[in-house]
Amino acid sequence: MSVLEEIFHSSTRILPEWVLFTGILATCMGLALTKAESKLPFYLFSLTGLLYVYSLLISAEQITAKGETLYQGLLFLDKKALLIKQLSGVAVLIFTVHARLFNYRYAGEIYLLVLFVLFGISILSMTTHFLTAYVALELISLASYALVASEKTKENFEAGIKYLIFGATASALMLFGISLFYGLTHRLDFGTPEFALALASQAPVPVQIISFMVLGGFLFKVAAAPFHHWVPDVYESTSTPVISFLSFAPKAAGFIFIARWVSADFANLNYLLALIIAFSLVVGNFAAIWQDNFKRMLGYSGIAQSGFLLTGLITGNNSDIYGTLFYLTAYLPMTMGSFFLADFIHSKTRSYAIPAMAGMGKKYPLLGINAVVILISMVGLPPTVGFVAKLLVFSSLADAASVTPGYLLYGLLVFGLFNAAISLYYYLRPVYLMIVRDPAEKNSGFSYNVLVTLALSYFSFTLLYLFIKADLISDWVFGVF
Amino acid sequence: MESGILSSLILLPLLGSLLILILPPAYKNFYKWISLITQILLLINVLTILGLFDRENPEYQLLEHSEWIRLSLGSKSILSIDYILGVDGLSIALVLLSSIIFLIASVSSFSIVYRPKTYFCLLLLLTATVLGCFLAVDFFLFFVFFEFMLLPMYFLIGIWGGENRAFASLKFFIYTFAGSVLILVVMICLAISNQDEFFTSEYARLVYSFDFRTLKDTNNLIADSILSIEQPVSIFGLPARDFMFLLLLIGFGIKMPIVPFHTWLPDAHVEAPTPVSVILAGILLKIGGYGMLRVAYDILPDASEKYAGLVGALGLISILYGALNALNQTDLKKMIAYSSVSHMGFVFIGIGAINSVGFNGAVFQMFSHGILSAMLFLIAGVLYERTHNRNIAAFQGLARKMPLYTLLVAVAFFGSLGLPSLSGFIGEFLTLHGGFQSAHLPKWIPALGIVGIVLSAIYFLLTFQRMFFGEFNTLEEYRTLLKDLNKTELFMLGSLAIITLLTGVWPNLIIRYINASLTEILR
Repeated sequence: MSVLEEIFHSSTRILPEWVLFTGILATCMGLALTKAESKLPFYLFSLTGLLYVYSLLISAEQITAKGETLYQGLLFLDKKALLIKQLSGVAVLIFTVHARLFNYRYAGEIYLLVLFVLFGISILSMTTHFLTAYVALELISLASYALVASEKTKENFEAGIKYLIFGATASALMLFGISLFYGLTHRLDFGTPEFALALASQAPVPVQIISFMVLGGFLFKVAAAPFHHWVPDVYESTSTPVISFLSFAPKAAGFIFIARWVSADFANLNYLLALIIAFSLVVGNFAAIWQDNFKRMLGYSGIAQSGFLLTGLITGNNSDIYGTLFYLTAYLPMTMGSFFLADFIHSKTRSYAIPAMAGMGKKYPLLGINAVVILISMVGLPPTVGFVAKLLVFSSLADAASVTPGYLLYGLLVFGLFNAAISLYYYLRPVYLMIVRDPAEKNSGFSYNVLVTLALSYFSFTLLYLFIKADLISDWVFGVF
Repeated sequence: MESGILSSLILLPLLGSLLILILPPAYKNFYKWISLITQILLLINVLTILGLFDRENPEYQLLEHSEWIRLSLGSKSILSIDYILGVDGLSIALVLLSSIIFLIASVSSFSIVYRPKTYFCLLLLLTATVLGCFLAVDFFLFFVFFEFMLLPMYFLIGIWGGENRAFASLKFFIYTFAGSVLILVVMICLAISNQDEFFTSEYARLVYSFDFRTLKDTNNLIADSILSIEQPVSIFGLPARDFMFLLLLIGFGIKMPIVPFHTWLPDAHVEAPTPVSVILAGILLKIGGYGMLRVAYDILPDASEKYAGLVGALGLISILYGALNALNQTDLKKMIAYSSVSHMGFVFIGIGAINSVGFNGAVFQMFSHGILSAMLFLIAGVLYERTHNRNIAAFQGLARKMPLYTLLVAVAFFGSLGLPSLSGFIGEFLTLHGGFQSAHLPKWIPALGIVGIVLSAIYFLLTFQRMFFGEFNTLEEYRTLLKDLNKTELFMLGSLAIITLLTGVWPNLIIRYINASLTEILR
């Protein structure tokens, strides 16, 4: 096949990205040609989201589990990429529903930026090439900085600047790592056997250090320690639907990249990962305990959840990164559900403060039940899918521990599970306040918004149903191998 | 032929709970009746199961088996999780105990007026999870019920508890959750070390099973796995099997509770309302002992022989420490809570003995303590409900004013301190007898255990003397409040007293059900 033919052939394989690209152009035009209060950009955005998900379903047929390289190795398209794209597409739809149900009136630019993030995720999820990965990562990051700072309050600017500075540092570190790898191997495509071969003769310690540098950029995106400093401020000040989307989709793309990086198998990164996991769990859990703002607490808990997600990437003989993919799938309704919950409560109390939640569950029993289900799913208690997800990642860790000499991984197993126990405290505190305490004001109005309540119940129903029918996710996710 | 009678034990309370949930508040007087009727139906079902149960057969009976989840763990292996229920001698005794205690607790809950809907929903939910825990034959299923049990209990203490309930309920939750996390580690390691041979060849992928019967059979161990017997993997310097046993010991020890891990218990008991205390002491503590026998001793027999001495010693420490603490308490409920710690220590001595007498004694002691501690907490509840005071020193000479109450308190106290002809004696006698016979325990452990009985005689008799003998003397405002038992209280305490007496005179009533299965565990 000539190069030109290959490029043409590749272009036929990325239908969803074409749809997205056209959608971005159309939304851009819509923004440029209409007045500020026009609803056209929103409609174009929603249409693009729907068409994107639809085209993902259509293109599923031509994608194989083993994958194929496109554009001379710049892209690598397989079912794992498809899974991440599907999940992110669903996340965009949930974002739309969330923003509509709570009447967020966004300027059209916000929708455009979300589409940019989605485009970046789409590209990042299907690459094993440093160049593409860097460009995609920057696309996600730049759009996210703007999203965070878009509300034009002091807190938003502060969070945006923090995000920008830490992001820039992380990507500089990553670029430095990439250039060192290029110097060692003369390759940018790390998925190929030649890359691993070129590194085989190198001293192991520098390879580990450079790997950590490259990982830095992605650990920043998935909010794992030690690249987590931006999290609390960004989570607290960004508007809820946006952060709900950002707490899931870029994370998913980051994880799939880290998973590809780990399974490129040029070095054993288990110990490095173990340290990152332990650090993330400690930082996330112990900081979350002290938070009084629900969104800020979710931010810190997201750091800890990243630790659990990374656990699934440590694999042994009889397991692979399947645990992480399962956890990611289960994480979508968990994290977006908890932000939806935050807004539900906010719509009643006008506050994101945890103490302000007192008595809400007593006043609105349905809200109380939903809060219990969503938050215990975050802890990983049965009967929710969170439990199955934790069981799977820790099973694969136990499997890895049994074939690895030394006690580090066994230690991590026990330590990780104890951290799950610690997380119980801060996830249960809102629940406790909501159900046990009396509401602050006695006789204020009492009304359910039917649609909002239904949407919230849908999240918790999903979490319960996927526990009983865990095979559903299991089969879906297993299809990517 | 699967009859579905075991599933009915889980479904009935769930249905009751759902019914209460959907009934509008206008019917709030019916909630307690729905709960009571459900518990009565449960008791009838349990008695039917007793009738169907073949006492000579040590295996699981009335099995109900259906496939549940097949989780791929990567491309080479599958986790196979099944919904399997069954009863054997060990579980049937505890299922019987649970249905009795829940019935009593349900009657005792009639006095609950604050948020009755939530209360009775949670009570029935708790019933379903406890029974599910005893009936599960699949480790995953067992664990799901085991964990889910914490949630209703947390709210039951947290909403209807005393002043310090927020602290007590959270402490209870975090302690027991930390314990169950250790059990989760063991569950994962056990599962990925045992394969289901039939399905492995069926699916052509390694099938890990959670079925207790598969886990128990050492032929299913995967040769190079963590728990392999031939090539022991060492974890922190210990062979993996020993390490797992110790994790289980701590995990179930917290639930039991055994001494260094017991501190959540007095707080939880003091804060919990009477019916919840009854359930907590009567049933939830037994799950620790049940788990030790079902998981640790049945699946890891080699490690349990090695650590028999440790188990026995922990039991002894609990007996003595609990008893000495109970001696010192001024709060009646706290005294009873510490006496629970002390009495559960006997269970550990019986388990540590690893012989037929010891095991039978341990299970009998669990049954007997379930009944007696339920009585004791009801007794404390009677006084607290009348006077809102639990201080032992605040009462004197109650015998003159409340003769019936005094009689039943005497049965409970003497039963607990081990008076022959009441059930407590049989349990303590059998466990210590097993301890003396045991090849694994040094003789000083059961010998010092006898000191524990003496100590319990001291604190129970002292308390009895202080509160019931002498002139009737208490605060002026209590004089009119202190009336003798009403009919409900008489029914609850009376029926429990009859069970104590019956099993004390005729211990074979329980032992003949449990003996065959417990002897099987020893093989």
